[in-house]
Amino acid sequence: MTGPVPPEDKRFYYSLLPFIGVSMIVVLVLAAVLAYYSLPAVKKYGATAILGREWSPSEDNPSKARYGLLIPILGTLATATIAVLIGLPIALSMVVLTEEILPYRYRGLLGSIVDVMAAIPTIVYGLWGLTVLAPLLRETLYKWLHARLGWTPLFACNPFTGTTYMTAGILLGIIVVPYIYAIVREAYRSVPKKYRHGIYALGATRLEAVRLIMGMIRSAIAAAVLLAFGRAAGETVAVALVIGSAFNAPRCLLAPGYTIASLIANQFGESFYYPYMANALYLGGLLLLLIGIAANIAGLRLLGRARSLEG
Amino acid sequence: MGLLEVKDLRVTISGRKILEGVSFTFKPGTVTAVMGPSGSGKSTLLRSLNRLLELVPGARVEGQVLLDGEDVYRMNPYTVRRRIGMVFQSPNPFPHISIYDNVALAPRLHGLAKSREELDELVEWALRKAMLWDEVKDRLHRPPTELSGGQQQRLSLARAIAARPEVLLLDEPTANIDPVNTRKIEESIVSFARELGMTVVIVTHTPQQAVRISDHILFLYMGRQVEAGPTRSLALEPRTRLLAQYFKGEL
Amino acid sequence: MKGRLALDKAFTLAVIIVALAGIIPLLHLLATVAVRGGEAILRAGPGFFTELPAPPGSRRLGGAAPALAGSLVLAVMSTAIGVPLAFGAALFLYEFRGTRLARAARAFLMSLLEIPTVLVGILVYVLLVVPLHGQSLLAGSLALAIVMLPYVATYVESALRQVPQTYREAGLALGLTRAQVALRIVAGIARRGILAGLIIGLSKAIGETAPLLFTVGGARSSVNINPLRPGDAAPLLIFHYAQTPYDNWRMLAWGASLVLVAAVLLIYVVAKAFVREVRM
Repeated sequence: MTGPVPPEDKRFYYSLLPFIGVSMIVVLVLAAVLAYYSLPAVKKYGATAILGREWSPSEDNPSKARYGLLIPILGTLATATIAVLIGLPIALSMVVLTEEILPYRYRGLLGSIVDVMAAIPTIVYGLWGLTVLAPLLRETLYKWLHARLGWTPLFACNPFTGTTYMTAGILLGIIVVPYIYAIVREAYRSVPKKYRHGIYALGATRLEAVRLIMGMIRSAIAAAVLLAFGRAAGETVAVALVIGSAFNAPRCLLAPGYTIASLIANQFGESFYYPYMANALYLGGLLLLLIGIAANIAGLRLLGRARSLEG
Repeated sequence: MGLLEVKDLRVTISGRKILEGVSFTFKPGTVTAVMGPSGSGKSTLLRSLNRLLELVPGARVEGQVLLDGEDVYRMNPYTVRRRIGMVFQSPNPFPHISIYDNVALAPRLHGLAKSREELDELVEWALRKAMLWDEVKDRLHRPPTELSGGQQQRLSLARAIAARPEVLLLDEPTANIDPVNTRKIEESIVSFARELGMTVVIVTHTPQQAVRISDHILFLYMGRQVEAGPTRSLALEPRTRLLAQYFKGEL
Repeated sequence: MKGRLALDKAFTLAVIIVALAGIIPLLHLLATVAVRGGEAILRAGPGFFTELPAPPGSRRLGGAAPALAGSLVLAVMSTAIGVPLAFGAALFLYEFRGTRLARAARAFLMSLLEIPTVLVGILVYVLLVVPLHGQSLLAGSLALAIVMLPYVATYVESALRQVPQTYREAGLALGLTRAQVALRIVAGIARRGILAGLIIGLSKAIGETAPLLFTVGGARSSVNINPLRPGDAAPLLIFHYAQTPYDNWRMLAWGASLVLVAAVLLIYVVAKAFVREVRM
């Protein structure tokens, strides 16, 4: 039907290619760099690079040094899980508050509050967490948890400090609320009005209606959870400030610990004095990248399915 | 020069036949009205003349469209559209630039004026020809959104002819316009053909408009070319029942 | 029947309480920032913006001038790098939507959102800091530009797509090329949304910390605005000083937090003036 592509269009196309090339290059080069610099650690420590618990640098005797990422890995997973467990109910409640309870006039207000939550730099969350939240939690929640539930391994250790896995998880929970809220609210509002009004017309109570609608948007909620998990796993400075920076296994949540991101933040700058430490950190970065990408791919796929179901 | 020949034009969109076997010669200095009930393919015909149809995914064009003997579909589409202009049903002056800049845009980019004075003259000329100059000459730098619908459509007219096309396509330009502005627009259209020698093709939504301003009529029904010929004779003695019904408003 | 209603009331109450559990910390945070940050700035006086930090443990505060100046430079440079990149990417995604390359490009662009920002810092560290033998404001700007890229590109593309097709047709009908239509007409009409995107990028540039950890340098013994030398940034100052036991330094951290939060909120309000829906 049509002739060859006119030269003006070709020029346009080619002139724009470099712009999209940038993001492609960044992703690929990052993965390559992380993999490349991880190799020495893998070669030296094998599986214990990932599965080992010991992290003992040794400046003078490198052969005695051990770098195992198991604790930070578990720490990342634990804090991200706590974040989602805390953030999900809060975000869902906010959605219900916005969509079902609040009078029309105030809905925009709550939306703006959530926007502000998302806008505040996480470093400020971290500063507040360190200065205000950690001591507060220690005096109130942690002492209570240790006293009452100290028989479970989760709260068995004595909370000497407020900077613990639990604090990081709680702070992350607050941070991810806007992400979950945005996705769930969009899905909630996309449920056709005729269903939403129809349910009430049939005499359902608010609780019954909400349960029904939440059931309808299950995929979107799951997607939000996954995406928030990925986000929480990647958060660095807020966690670094409140997690206590110590190599304790996240078996007891009231102990200070590490996540991969906080470990990198804390140690990367000095890591070049210790042979293989930097490599181990690069390996941690690679694992963190994989966790983030996995969570996002799963989450986006669910979200795509949820959106296509909305017809 | 602007001689536009259509030979056995067939258009399908995603497999569905929209136009079949349209053949006609649009001559410079004349106004041809393309008529037919909705769905007869009039807009599609227009858009296949200036290759705007390519924006529609799944559109396939077969047959020939020749501009002064050259196959329009082998030419650079941008050259085609510089020589074949178009005015749309809903007025669409660019809202983010002034009235002056709307008209001056094409001449500027195509290098039609060598100096600021020439450009000013061209803009004034185009606005006069579209019968809009007196109403906007004191507010050329205002945005076109301040104009009424009829004025905006005349602005679209001025914008189109400022590019000095040889052919001008109009897709039901007065369908949403009040009678006063319609009259003015119709006068302008006729003057484009008579005074400027343009080849004017206008899809019209009423047979009355066709009778008022066109020299030739091309009547389409369900994608087929049913009748074509001089307006005078077709209007007095339509050769087919369909056209007769259309004139009487029965289609 | 009564049981259902009672349950419903309990549910409503529970929802409100849990939602408040999320809102109250935020309000407390804002209040703390305002109070402690305000205290710090008032105590330091105008020197907060012009002086160097006082020695650790001193009774004086000094100021956060290197950090504030650095953040300003970073904001300008990163948007200068990131916004054109994002605009070009958005233009490609808009014009060539649906092609295989566009789909792949979009996937890569969105995957930038998934990368923890600390890793972006590491990438720039390896690619720029090591070869140039030093950290710099330029390296920090590059890291921030990469971080803001997907956000700004998404905004710009969305703004472009909201322009009604009829204007695109009118432009093409005049004989304008696709490039001319995209740049002069569609982008022109969409300029409000594009501006909002730029502003969102700015907010990312100001608030992100992790990309700066290994790229900017945290040099605060003097005010440096030379892009090729190490500098300081407000989030970086907060990160470092928060972990110290010195009262005056911690107060500076709160002061810097107040400035950051005020800046980000201001940006949010301005962006909202341009576009109804602002996704930070």
